[in-house]
Amino acid sequence: MHSLLSRGNAIVAYTLSLLACLTFLCFLSTLFVDYRTIAAINTVKVVVKSVPDYSAAREECDLGFITFDLQANLTNLFNWNVKQLFLYLTAEYSTANNALSQVVLWDKIILRGEKAILDFKNMNTKYYFWDDGSGLRGHQNITLTLAWNIIPNAGLLPSIVARGQHSFAFPSNYTVTRV
Amino acid sequence: MDYFRSIPVHMDYDGQHRAEKLSRIIITLFGAVGLIWGYIIQRFSQTVYIVGAGFVLAAIVTVPPWPMYRRKPLNWQKPRPAASKGAPIKSPRKRND
Repeated sequence: MHSLLSRGNAIVAYTLSLLACLTFLCFLSTLFVDYRTIAAINTVKVVVKSVPDYSAAREECDLGFITFDLQANLTNLFNWNVKQLFLYLTAEYSTANNALSQVVLWDKIILRGEKAILDFKNMNTKYYFWDDGSGLRGHQNITLTLAWNIIPNAGLLPSIVARGQHSFAFPSNYTVTRV
Repeated sequence: MDYFRSIPVHMDYDGQHRAEKLSRIIITLFGAVGLIWGYIIQRFSQTVYIVGAGFVLAAIVTVPPWPMYRRKPLNWQKPRPAASKGAPIKSPRKRND
């Protein structure tokens, strides 16, 4: 502490240590928060086609087309340790080939301060709903679930599954016209 | 140049001690207030800004050698007379005999 530089160094080091402690306290204060909430999902249009998957082996695979409704109020999920939410809509089903397939159909980032009340009607999916064979046609139990990652300032990166899911069935005939 | 040399830049030992203690108190106080305020309004960025304000205040108050840190200078012994220049250094007690 005898010179300008050593005093400057001391207070910079102390400030950074204090900031680390405060960040840890912020993490502790949100450690046991329950981030689950209700999401209402519904499907509107459900079609399945059989088309060659040129991104893979060029064999004909089942490709599902769906549009969906989604209502959820995620405002309460934001606290002082949440920077953003990463939402993703997953279709889960099992076929004879695969015990469990999970396909992400749609996602969305909600930043802190943005509107966190979702009300989507007849939304298209963002990503293709490919099966790796012909498991989608006539499938009776496809489950759509909404889940989110909490991106915090400090601490864990939990992946939360929303309460409320929706099951639907694909038609038993391929659609050949353009959808 | 002599003018700049004449600016005192040191702190005495007591001043150094008080400067360090004061800087710790200021930064910790701002940190505690910032944590509470950030928790109330649920914005951690406000906590960081308040800690930053505490840092700036502590830097202004305790980094420059203000006169209040120079109130208890050490009482140094008087310089030895010029006659003893070049003579082998002995302990002062013997020389004063």
